[in-house]
Amino acid sequence: MTKHSTLSRAEGWRRRAPLLPALLFTILVTQVPFLLTVYYSTHSWNLVRPGSWEFVGLQNYLYVFRDSQFREVAMNTVILIVGTVLISALLGLGLALLLNRSFRGRGVVRTLLITPFLITPVAGALLWKTAMFDPVFGIVNFVLQPFGVGNFAWVSQFPLATVMVDLIWRWTPFMMLLILAGLQSMPEDVLEAGRVDGAGPIALFRELTLPHLRRFIELGVVLGAIYLVNTFGAIYMMTSGGPGVESANLPFYIYQRAFLGFEVGQAAAMGVVTVAATIVIAMLALRLIFKSFMGAQEAA
Amino acid sequence: MATIAYQTASCLYEGAANPAVDRLTLEVDDGEFIVLVGPSGSGKSTALRMLAGLEDIDEGNITINGKDMVGVPSKDRDIAMVFQNYALYPSMTVAENMGFALKMRGVPAGERRRQVEQAAELLDLSDFLDRKPAKLSGGQRQRVAMGRAIVREPQVFCMDEPLSNLDAKLRVQTRTQIAALQRRLGTTTVYVTHDQVEAMTMGDRVAVLKDGKLQQFAAPTELYDAPVNAFVAGFIGSPAMNLVPALVTSEGVQLGESTLPLERDRLAALHRQELSSVTVGLRPEQLEVVPAGQGIDVRIDLVEELGSESYVHAHLVDDRGGASTRLVARSHRRAPGRLGETIGLRHGAGSVHVFHPDTGARIDGEEMSARVGTGV
Repeated sequence: MTKHSTLSRAEGWRRRAPLLPALLFTILVTQVPFLLTVYYSTHSWNLVRPGSWEFVGLQNYLYVFRDSQFREVAMNTVILIVGTVLISALLGLGLALLLNRSFRGRGVVRTLLITPFLITPVAGALLWKTAMFDPVFGIVNFVLQPFGVGNFAWVSQFPLATVMVDLIWRWTPFMMLLILAGLQSMPEDVLEAGRVDGAGPIALFRELTLPHLRRFIELGVVLGAIYLVNTFGAIYMMTSGGPGVESANLPFYIYQRAFLGFEVGQAAAMGVVTVAATIVIAMLALRLIFKSFMGAQEAA
Repeated sequence: MATIAYQTASCLYEGAANPAVDRLTLEVDDGEFIVLVGPSGSGKSTALRMLAGLEDIDEGNITINGKDMVGVPSKDRDIAMVFQNYALYPSMTVAENMGFALKMRGVPAGERRRQVEQAAELLDLSDFLDRKPAKLSGGQRQRVAMGRAIVREPQVFCMDEPLSNLDAKLRVQTRTQIAALQRRLGTTTVYVTHDQVEAMTMGDRVAVLKDGKLQQFAAPTELYDAPVNAFVAGFIGSPAMNLVPALVTSEGVQLGESTLPLERDRLAALHRQELSSVTVGLRPEQLEVVPAGQGIDVRIDLVEELGSESYVHAHLVDDRGGASTRLVARSHRRAPGRLGETIGLRHGAGSVHVFHPDTGARIDGEEMSARVGTGV
């Protein structure tokens, strides 16, 4: 190693030094708990049974994979994420297309459409549970009354679907904003060239607009999915995961196991499995967006 | 193959005080290459976009082959357009770009490929058919845009400053290629440019626009030799024609100390209009550099050496009032004078152009006006 590079290494550390507190803090609040979780996951430990602390190796993991409820909850998580992301992306695309044309009061309409994204998740979930879906005084049943719908209990009949409705309501504006940004960066002359080349509105959308929007939609889907993995508030407020675990997702089920069942060891093992699966899926998804945006940069 | 006619066609942008294109009337013959030229904001691009169906025709109409185009969408007009920034479809390959119009028309894939390959060969693009536009150079993109237009064999080509994004050398080269291609295909072409050299070299006829109004529509040489007004005179030709105010005397017009004689019937026309001063137009090549005292005395401000010739920029020496009168003269000799030196300029070959001092309209004698016609 030459003298020059040692010097620049020292210089490098001096430049990085102001960032170190933040790095230490991040390690302290994310990596240390994770390592602790891994450690707990190899023990059988129930808080309400004093003296239950015992090293069990990978037994908790075996239990997790044999647990049919865990499998059901994992499936719920997938349905919740995929369903919410796809439906909100479609709705967002539709709204973005409508907002991309000029009309009177467009600014007001745009602001109103964005508000669901700005409302606290817990407050939004409470609104859907009570003001909208309540069997007796909910707006949904009030509106559907003329069609012969009585005091239908939406939340208890379709727990997962009603949670999804709340999440779609919140995530549609996010998708809409991303896609709208994509639409507004669409070069006007390319569309004009398409019109002169004989393309009607549908062909223009399919052949030119949609390929241009692809990377914006991909970005929305991946970011949306990453946020939706952690959904907790909506489930806690609307259904508490019930009935049974019908509307619970992984974070909620782990919470139940750890803080209602006090099965720290099992909950820790579930947490580790969830984190590992999330990392794998997120990496694949992020690679997809980076590829798509890098490719697009060349085109720009 | 098509004829085009603009009939008092106007385009009004919302909120604008004056129409972008104001009662434009133009008749384009079948197979003709016409150029719309003018400074920015003259409405030339708008006029073209009205033909392409990208702007509304608010008044009057435009016909292609006698068929009224008001309200007809772009896709049903059978025209091809080359855009200034090419507007290639970024997600498609060169071949897909060129074949897009055929695909929209429902031409089967095999036939499409054959026609695209044919056009690609013509434009030297055969090696790039599978590339995306992002991987092409500016000149190649320009050729793809041309290819996209010619593949479909449209009735009309519309070209909106297609050369303005190329470097100077490539521009000259592509200019001749486009003109040759158009002669070969014989497709009626409307070409928009702000570059008067392109207009002069490419067009069968050139329409000069200003503030949305047609100034003159004529063959390039006629625009050069007999501009209908001071604007056309100043716009066509490089360096621009010298347009200087001058007093009318009994023999001609006075420029500096010397008098440029005018024909009798032109003088008569000036007297009929009771003008005491006019705008005189002299092309740089109509002024010869002579020793001081033998012509109009001027002082040299700048000499531009082009190698084959040089341009002398100078101002009148005896200029008494206000803005000094500037003149540009072409000299075949190198270094006809030095900066600050006083030389003489003499009116050489060719007739002096005379324009009305206020309206800028050309003033001709009776004999001349009969020969040139009225233009607009």
